[in-house]
Amino acid sequence: MAKVTDDTLTKVSTDAATELVNSFYPALKNDRSSIASFYLPTPTSILFNGNTVADGAAVQEIFQNQMPEASYEVQSFDCQIMNRAYPTTTAAGLKPATEMGVKDMSILVMASGHVRYGESRDQPLRGFSETFVLVPNPSSDRKRRRDWLIQSQNFRLVV
Amino acid sequence: MKTMKSRRPGGDRGGIRKRGATRTDRDGDMDMDGPGGRGGKRRGAGQTRPSGSGSGSSAGVSRPTRPGGDRLQARDKTLNAIQKALLDSRETQANIRKGKTNASGNLESYSVRGWKTSNASNHRDGGVGSLLGFLERKIDALTKSGPRAKITKSRVEGDSLVVSVRPELADRILRVNGALFAGVRIVVEPYDGSSSAAIDRELGTTSSTSPSTADTKSKMTMILSKRYYPDTKLLDLSKLSSDPDLVAMGIFNQTSTESKFFPALMKVWEMGFTDAKQRREAVDSVSLAHNSLTNVTAVTTLSQTFPDLKNLDLSHNNLKDDRSMSAWRWKFRNLEFLDLTGNPFSTEPTFKETLMKWYPSLQTLNNVLVRTPEEIAAQKKTPIPVQPPHFQDEGQIAENFIRAFFVRFDSNREELARSFYDSHSEFTMNINTSAPKAQQTESAGWDPYIKKSRNLLKINHLPARMSRSYIGTAKVLEVWKDLPETRHPDVTARPEEYLIECYPVPGLPDLTGQSPTGVGGLLVMVHGKFEENVAGKVETRSFDRTFVIGPGSGLGGIRVINDILCLRAYGGHEAWSPENQAIPYATGPAAIAAGASAPVAAIPAAPLATLPTPVPAPTPAPIPAPLAQAGFPPGYGVPGPGKTETQVQQEQMIAQMSAKSGMTLQFSEMALSGNGWNFEAAWKNFEELKASGTLPASAFLAPV
Repeated sequence: MAKVTDDTLTKVSTDAATELVNSFYPALKNDRSSIASFYLPTPTSILFNGNTVADGAAVQEIFQNQMPEASYEVQSFDCQIMNRAYPTTTAAGLKPATEMGVKDMSILVMASGHVRYGESRDQPLRGFSETFVLVPNPSSDRKRRRDWLIQSQNFRLVV
Repeated sequence: MKTMKSRRPGGDRGGIRKRGATRTDRDGDMDMDGPGGRGGKRRGAGQTRPSGSGSGSSAGVSRPTRPGGDRLQARDKTLNAIQKALLDSRETQANIRKGKTNASGNLESYSVRGWKTSNASNHRDGGVGSLLGFLERKIDALTKSGPRAKITKSRVEGDSLVVSVRPELADRILRVNGALFAGVRIVVEPYDGSSSAAIDRELGTTSSTSPSTADTKSKMTMILSKRYYPDTKLLDLSKLSSDPDLVAMGIFNQTSTESKFFPALMKVWEMGFTDAKQRREAVDSVSLAHNSLTNVTAVTTLSQTFPDLKNLDLSHNNLKDDRSMSAWRWKFRNLEFLDLTGNPFSTEPTFKETLMKWYPSLQTLNNVLVRTPEEIAAQKKTPIPVQPPHFQDEGQIAENFIRAFFVRFDSNREELARSFYDSHSEFTMNINTSAPKAQQTESAGWDPYIKKSRNLLKINHLPARMSRSYIGTAKVLEVWKDLPETRHPDVTARPEEYLIECYPVPGLPDLTGQSPTGVGGLLVMVHGKFEENVAGKVETRSFDRTFVIGPGSGLGGIRVINDILCLRAYGGHEAWSPENQAIPYATGPAAIAAGASAPVAAIPAAPLATLPTPVPAPTPAPIPAPLAQAGFPPGYGVPGPGKTETQVQQEQMIAQMSAKSGMTLQFSEMALSGNGWNFEAAWKNFEELKASGTLPASAFLAPV
């Protein structure tokens, strides 16, 4: 792996977090059929208010069939690199270190904001805190794919 | 732009703002800044007069788009300014008097009066636009050379238009005093932002024609004290027009003073308190009965002075319909009791429906119960049931870490940093300055933190993003030492004030470089609160903090890899108390729990509470993950398609009963349903039956 400067690492990680926040929350509101596409096929943990959800498809199913309209507004978020040489397992096995690039990192993202369930403005605004771990998309299909996928997610209403 | 829009639908915006903004005067610049200032950016473009609209003034001059709209806003500003003047130091007061300093240099403020009766007053904006144009032309006429005169900022405040201009225009604007504007002589004088002057302005009186302000204020204070009942926290403002003291003051002789009397009264009330919390808690109930009100506009400031009001008596007024109360549409979010008996509005067919919709906590309307407390609680339920924390620790690593962490963060940050952080550990913090709060509480500003905040929504430049990340023990410690001292609640004594969750995370960097697949660690997420001393006052704030911990050479063989801290206004801890709270968590036989080698899942709400006693670690109450291992049907106790929330909760109660009693699911369910789903009653029942030997062997699970 070529020597990567700190500013490149910061740019890659913060761009990935920004992209997640700017696309995932709107999808929960308006584009629920795309929800599963945000997740790694085998995520480690997905939690909503302490309820375990199996995978991205299950999250999508819950949002499509059981959730009322939900409007999220992220008011603050931040991220850090967890592992700048994240070991990705592709179809061909573990990606060798020699093939690793600047985007082979895992990223911790934390968002804070509010959500309103239901269409009525009379519904209260609930504060939430959410933690994600993003990892590189292991898929070799370069077309129409997301660069980063959710490996774990923990959503909690906190207000 | 598209994403921005979808995140903040335009239609919702106003509502959110309105509800949230009633008390956000902690953004100290908001109230004094005009639309050109920082606060102004938040206002709708519709309130900014387009430049080049004939008057030659700048685009930053505000113009009311709705009659009365800006006057209301102006009153807010006056209130805020006065509150600040009273609460803040003398220096701040002096600043207000002199006029606000802003980035463009010192501005001086002048009040212009007398224009309200001009021929321009029937304009849509009450004549403000014409007056501003007039003033600028007059000043220009007095200017021999140099740039055209500009009124940088303006706002309406009672009878006055307060205009701010650059100091070099000061003598010229004063010379406009006495000029003829649209048929009337206007008065221009230096603006006095002091509280007494504000009451005068509010009442529309001037020192030459009325008793002194001090006198007005003391009389009002006396009237308020006669009408306040501290035992019941009632402020009785009924039948004001027949109050002999008010009659003697001549308040109701003129319509002009009558309309200004109430805001002034509220202001005097607020002045009686130096502590905002005390002020809010002093009154639960207000009566405005028998005041011949046809509209709440005249008394609308009540909602600013008492935003948390629980009981409001408006009986025997003359409120006709919902429009007569529309000013309070988004106010009084905690209102439980409302009496509108004896108002025409009460007979409208939509009366009950409308007010129940407006006030989500309303229980009693016109002395009739319209909602039970249970129904109100049910409204607050979320589509995703709130479960106890998911706590999947390994060898109590996370538990021990958290126990040590907050105690040391409060008492010895240096020791803490050296115990768990190494040269690769990263710490960042972000401040959510607009997070929802527990109540309409005012919170201290974020000055000590904001320069370190790495909120990526706001910190867009790469160098700032880099400089606000602290990597390595020394840097982490340096920033921690810079942060105010904190006091976190004792995790053991106040477990309910924390929500701590934890689960394993793979693929962390291996410091030894031996494992190409990285090493495993734990993701620990903590939500809680802490106290901090802000200028001698104890301030409570909420926080969310996520740690990644992995194997290392720190205390207990671990190290902190990542530490992200989010701070926000105090939001309480009710949000995470499980909805089926009455259930005591299993502490009984561990026989049913997953095998010892499986990770311990789902520690109850108080994961650490049992630690100090030398008993074994708390037995997990099986929820989602381990249920399958425990022989429960897949998906048992987990929300799923076609399952109601009640079903899920019942399944979880059954699982807990089964775990605690050692009974099968069927018998556990029988015990619970036979006792009305009251866990304690069912448990008692079980113990009695077990003691009497009535339970068959088949009621119990086979030992694992």
